[in-house]
Amino acid sequence: MRKVKLIIGTIFILLVVLGMTAAASKVSFYANITAIEPIMESFEAKTGIKGEYTRISTDKFLATVLTEFEAGKLLADVIQAPLPVLEILKERGVLSTYTSPVAEAYPEWTRKEGIQLFGIEYVALIYNKELVKQEDVPKRYEDLTDPKWKDKIVMANPALHPTTISWLVGLKENIFESEEEWLNFVKGLAANKPMFVASFGPTPAPVESGEKLIAISMPKYIITKAPAPLDWARIEQPLMGTPRAIAVTSSAPNPDGAKAFMDYWLSEEAMSILAKEVGEYVLAPGIFPPIDSIDKAEVLAIRELSDEEIQQWGTEFKKIFAVY
Amino acid sequence: MEIRIKEVSKYYYSEGKTIKALDKVSLTIPSNQIFTLLGPSGCGKTTLLRCIVGLETPDSGEIIIGDEIVWSGKDGINIPTEKRGLAMVFQTYAIWPHMNVYNNVAYPLQIQKIPKEEIRKKVEKTLRFVKLEGFEKRPATNISGGQQQRVALARALVAEPKVILFDEPLSNLDAKLREETRKELRSFLSKLQITAVYVTHDQIEALALSDIIAVMHSGHIVEIGSPREIYFNANHQFVADFIGRANLFKAVVKAQEHDKTIVSSDIGTFVCQKREFPVESKVILCIRPEFIYLKKDRITEEETTGEQNVISGQIDNLIFIGEAYEGEVRIGKEHLMVKLDPETSLKKGDTVNLVVSSNHCLLVSA
Amino acid sequence: MKRDSRLTIILIIIVGFLTVCPVIMLVFGSFSEGLSAFGKFTLEKYIAAYTDPELPKIISNTVIFVLGAALVATILALFLAYLNNRTDIPGKFLFKVISITPMMIPHILFSVSWVLLLNPSNGILNLILKQFFGLENSPFNIYSLWGMILVEGLLDMPIAYLIIAPAMASFDVNLEESSRVCGAGIGQTLAKITLPVLRPAILAAFILCIVRCMASFAVPSVIGMPGRIYVLATHIYQTISVGFAVDYGKAAAIGMSVLVISITLIFLYRYLTSESEKYVTISSRGYHPTIIKLKKAKIPLFFILGLLLFILIALPVLVLIYTSLVPYSMVPSAKAFSMMSLRHWNAVIKDPISILSLKNSLFLGIFGATVGVILSLFVAYTIVRIRTKMSGILESLSFLSFSFPGIVIGIGFMWFFVRTPIYATIWTLLIGYIATYLPYGIRPLSSAFVQIHKHLEESSKVCGAGPLTTMRRIIIPLLVPGIVSGWILMATMFLRELSLSVVLSRPGSEVLAVQILRFSGDGLWGRLSALGIIMIVISTTLVALVSFIGAKLQPAIK
Repeated sequence: MRKVKLIIGTIFILLVVLGMTAAASKVSFYANITAIEPIMESFEAKTGIKGEYTRISTDKFLATVLTEFEAGKLLADVIQAPLPVLEILKERGVLSTYTSPVAEAYPEWTRKEGIQLFGIEYVALIYNKELVKQEDVPKRYEDLTDPKWKDKIVMANPALHPTTISWLVGLKENIFESEEEWLNFVKGLAANKPMFVASFGPTPAPVESGEKLIAISMPKYIITKAPAPLDWARIEQPLMGTPRAIAVTSSAPNPDGAKAFMDYWLSEEAMSILAKEVGEYVLAPGIFPPIDSIDKAEVLAIRELSDEEIQQWGTEFKKIFAVY
Repeated sequence: MEIRIKEVSKYYYSEGKTIKALDKVSLTIPSNQIFTLLGPSGCGKTTLLRCIVGLETPDSGEIIIGDEIVWSGKDGINIPTEKRGLAMVFQTYAIWPHMNVYNNVAYPLQIQKIPKEEIRKKVEKTLRFVKLEGFEKRPATNISGGQQQRVALARALVAEPKVILFDEPLSNLDAKLREETRKELRSFLSKLQITAVYVTHDQIEALALSDIIAVMHSGHIVEIGSPREIYFNANHQFVADFIGRANLFKAVVKAQEHDKTIVSSDIGTFVCQKREFPVESKVILCIRPEFIYLKKDRITEEETTGEQNVISGQIDNLIFIGEAYEGEVRIGKEHLMVKLDPETSLKKGDTVNLVVSSNHCLLVSA
Repeated sequence: MKRDSRLTIILIIIVGFLTVCPVIMLVFGSFSEGLSAFGKFTLEKYIAAYTDPELPKIISNTVIFVLGAALVATILALFLAYLNNRTDIPGKFLFKVISITPMMIPHILFSVSWVLLLNPSNGILNLILKQFFGLENSPFNIYSLWGMILVEGLLDMPIAYLIIAPAMASFDVNLEESSRVCGAGIGQTLAKITLPVLRPAILAAFILCIVRCMASFAVPSVIGMPGRIYVLATHIYQTISVGFAVDYGKAAAIGMSVLVISITLIFLYRYLTSESEKYVTISSRGYHPTIIKLKKAKIPLFFILGLLLFILIALPVLVLIYTSLVPYSMVPSAKAFSMMSLRHWNAVIKDPISILSLKNSLFLGIFGATVGVILSLFVAYTIVRIRTKMSGILESLSFLSFSFPGIVIGIGFMWFFVRTPIYATIWTLLIGYIATYLPYGIRPLSSAFVQIHKHLEESSKVCGAGPLTTMRRIIIPLLVPGIVSGWILMATMFLRELSLSVVLSRPGSEVLAVQILRFSGDGLWGRLSALGIIMIVISTTLVALVSFIGAKLQPAIK
């Protein structure tokens, strides 16, 4: 009995020691973008500053950052999130107005007083290239309403997933000629009874496995999920997505490190990693993800929708798609 | 050690009703005696015992063990159980199933941090005393009920307490074993200079074991006395009825003589043991079956004296129980329980004469 | 007694501090304007939450889902516990495996496995059945209420088993035997004696499952959402996560009703078992339960057991292993097998964050469960033995954060911890876990407590042992089965905990489940499965180790 206690006690102490690792000079980076470890590594290799990446999902992003900020405990030096999130944070004074000199190379519209747009969370139609015949692949968004896709589509829940809601609204504003045409498209899509999942993450799996044939999803999965038989439908109309943005915080514990990180993030090197390894669509000129013919595609940033608008549309789509 | 209980009350609340488990009970338990709390279930005897040992907290009153006040409502004294230095044998024995016999018995000494060698000696001695030598290594769950009972006793005795409490310790044993254990217990206890408080609902156990018996009924002590006093001279109908078996009849006092009281009842006029009841007051006549003699023949004048009551009746029923016959005799509309010699020639339907000595006609208040 | 009430008060303070603080934060949040806990007072969130026209439908779904799943879990657990403890069925070690494995599989993985097996388009089982019987349509559709009930029921079964089995094991057979003597058959005895006597344990298991199902999120989101079946947990998610400024105050407002229901259930449970003294069954007269000879029923029952084992353990685990080896989600085929490789395993093992999260989770599992069990021991003692009004309060308190939907309580803890110096350290996880999952320790311990005759403890006191000595020498050794159950429940829970971790974990305090979530967010099922298997292996090792130590500490009884 005594011996057992002693052993257990020793294990605890060891684990406690293991649990507390000392911190060196570092930059803390809160982001909703995933799979960016290679950039963190090359940043440390280049500058000697340790980059600490905290992934926070979009639905908890504001709650976390604002709670920490209001308690005076915001740990982040640099924050990356969808543009609307950073806009809200800017309003609350969480962000500084630092503009990186590297941003000069980016188009004019990507600079927003401290907030820098660097990519687009682009949405496309991703299909299973083994199961969908080449001639069946949609050529226009409207093709999705063809009854042959009934029970074959998977998409993020249009009543709640902000990017999907924005994308549907973006179609109305940028792609379709009239509101009526757009409404017909949405209703036709709904009539095909797509399967809803919580976000983009779970959309490719059913297509890979053949449970569904086509997904309203992101082309980056063609890279991250290779060699899965995924391809994107080269439709005649432009692709669209919500902008990804980054900014330095106003209360950064390590302001110099923060600026260094921001500069590096926007550099051609980091953006190339993001495009090549993660398949992201970046706004740094001339850099494209290694997805066949994506460099020829036109990718539009969707107008920034306010939360009220997203909620209104969410309710609307809830009805049209009979989500409940 | 003497135990004094002063006006101890304990109430339970259940479904909006108050149950008085103990209602201002006062009692002195003298040193080095076997003191029994006897009563039907629910009379409060176990509650009283648990208050003494400290497993139950009274609502008011005072409990003094030796010179120490262990519980006092008004002074806010409450010595916890483990500091009261008592020993107790539980109804379930409470033998710890995860320990062997040795560890069960040694436990009180181990708690006192006595040197191991000394513990070993004492446990050995105690186990020998309760005739369990050689059982040390046995798992406590792997012995018979009687042996478990003795383990529980050994555990209670091992620390040589001044007071030992028993909560119906024999009720889980079979009849034969119960009788043997009762005798053993009596001899164990009389060898030790110890105050024993014994709780039971079994009157035979109480009579056989005790120096003093306190009969309890619904939270009160009804009567205290030696086994003989309780048996022969009960003052209360409840006690007379509860101890042994008794024929009870309503009666009215007719006359008071200098050493006798004469009553009239449904089964006739009786000369009884002297009790100071006013003439014409209502009383209960109590006759124990074992003191009724049955005779088939007519009773001659010589055989009767003024001390004896004679009535006649008819045997309604006879049941053979081995050591005796239990019978019912009808007298008018009433029935009387009687006890007959096992070799009797009387049989059902016989008309008999019953003879009861006035000493065994007990009067208690109605 | 004074000492007892002092203990009760100390525990109320500790447990209250742990559970009330986050809930109070959520109460503030639900009444406050804006996104954090301390805005201007408003009732708007409640009005919006409770005037939703969808609510009646959601509530009816939730009731069916929760009761169904809790019923499946409890009945399965009873069946297994009975077979294991009371019959001569062969292969008893399998029971431990069956009963515990589902707890070690992260719920999200388990749900995904079932989707792969039973989805109507190309679920593996559906494909097999279609081919075998020449059916046109798939016989099963996992995306339905019964699919949710099945999967959630299987996932919660271990909770029920670990509460019912110890009670079943220490059941006084005289009670059953006397019924048999009265002429009742095995079945009648089971229905009229065994089950009623085990009522406290069964009810405890059932209610715990209900509470857990109400807070469950993995199954409703992975299976319910695609089937367009919404229950309260997904409704909350649905309501708040439209848009970027997610309002957890509003979620808390909806969650309050779940809390009220849970607390009501717990009071109901206390009321139903208020005469638990009646059910005392262990005394010192030995408890070697008689074994019922199954005779002819042996083979069919063993077959059922085997089938359960296969469905519960083998299938999902096989699916996990398979998924971790194929490059992407594919239906098993010659091609799939030819493409198998260890690439996902390499990716996981070489990932420094995965390794760190492994260490952290291990620490939280072992240390956290130990602290949790010690606290639970005292709480269970107070609840079962002292049984005053105060201990009733204590019991309800222990359920507070447990009964809140997971996605909400995490935010409550964040709102609370951010005001303390331990924010963003691993200690927030430790405290949060213990506070939220305290019932996992308390339930098995208190149902084990109920089984121990009070006299065993009282007699130690009379022998002069103080309360702590009595605890150490008498109560704890007798409680070993309950302690082992509680520890296993807590440790495996902590190893796969997600709802709190995802909010509270920070660089340096990453844990396994968050890493898994990260993989699932990127749709990386292969890595997800590899890490899931690692988790299962660790949990299995821990469980085996603890069961072994438990058996060592209790040689006299078994």
